Amino acid sequence: MSSSDTHVPNPHLAHHYETIEKQDYAVRLGMWLFLGTEVLLFAGLFLGYTVYRHFYHEAFHEASRHLDLWAGATNTVVLITSSLSVALAYDAIKRGKTKRCAALLIFTIACALAFLVIKGIEYSHKFQEGALPGKWYHYAEVTAPGANLYYTVYFLTTGLHAFHVIVGMSILIWLLSRVLRGHFSESYYVPVELGGLYWHLVDLVWIFLFPLLYLI
Amino acid sequence: MAHETSDSPAAKDEHHPHGVGRYWLVWALLLVFTATTVITGRMDLGGANIFIALLIATIKATLVVLFFMHMTEAPGANRLVFVVSLVFSIVLMIGVFGDLWTRNPMSLPSGAPTTEAPER
Repeated sequence: MSSSDTHVPNPHLAHHYETIEKQDYAVRLGMWLFLGTEVLLFAGLFLGYTVYRHFYHEAFHEASRHLDLWAGATNTVVLITSSLSVALAYDAIKRGKTKRCAALLIFTIACALAFLVIKGIEYSHKFQEGALPGKWYHYAEVTAPGANLYYTVYFLTTGLHAFHVIVGMSILIWLLSRVLRGHFSESYYVPVELGGLYWHLVDLVWIFLFPLLYLI
Repeated sequence: MAHETSDSPAAKDEHHPHGVGRYWLVWALLLVFTATTVITGRMDLGGANIFIALLIATIKATLVVLFFMHMTEAPGANRLVFVVSLVFSIVLMIGVFGDLWTRNPMSLPSGAPTTEAPER
């Protein structure tokens, strides 16, 4: 079935586009524009981190040593692996392999859940120790001025990132349900591609958060 | 643009196996870089630590953008909007770093322990 001529109506073509090619071009460009705004959002947060780290260098160094490095490193591996599986899911649906795509999406969703569980365990330890953001901070082990700010930045950046993980996971679940209902094939797979792009962005942000928070 | 090849079925068949192998290779490289950054991150390299960590993070991010996100195959407009967001992030950083490195000590927060740049 060729859709480059408008004689055959394509069910995925919105009425305000002339051809499916133009529609695909527009949705991909729109996605990259959105990803650009995400970069700017996190760039602002990273700068806030940099300013406080500049003023309270020793406190940030000391406070970072009280994070669980292995939890952070494990989560890095989990996210990198989920980035691979979502890229493979996209490749599978592009070749019309629906079952393979569904299996890879399930694996990716499991990785997202694993990330959130590990992050949740880390958070609960910090809550118990009193390493809380803002005025609730009462962590006895790091009392240097500025350590409080480190944990405020830590919870703000990782919290916003975790929110992105939850959103990304919801998108992946929605894509999985559509894959299972046979909505996608080698002739129509753009939503899987865009959902994958969003998931890669979640990975990208963590690639910078991990060294800045755990390895300074 | 240089994209006319992606329409021909022959080019597609040739492209696919190559693509999957490439994903696995990128994944392996990302794991190697993660191990490297964990090892070097806890070594005492003085002021070089943060630069090594950020260099490795930038290499990892570039691999993800170019290959997992298919920036190498994206049309020019998509590349442009993403690169422009990076350029403006850098403009923002230059402004803020310029402020930090030239600040009068009297304008620092009273609790700040040091007015020096982050070197020990």
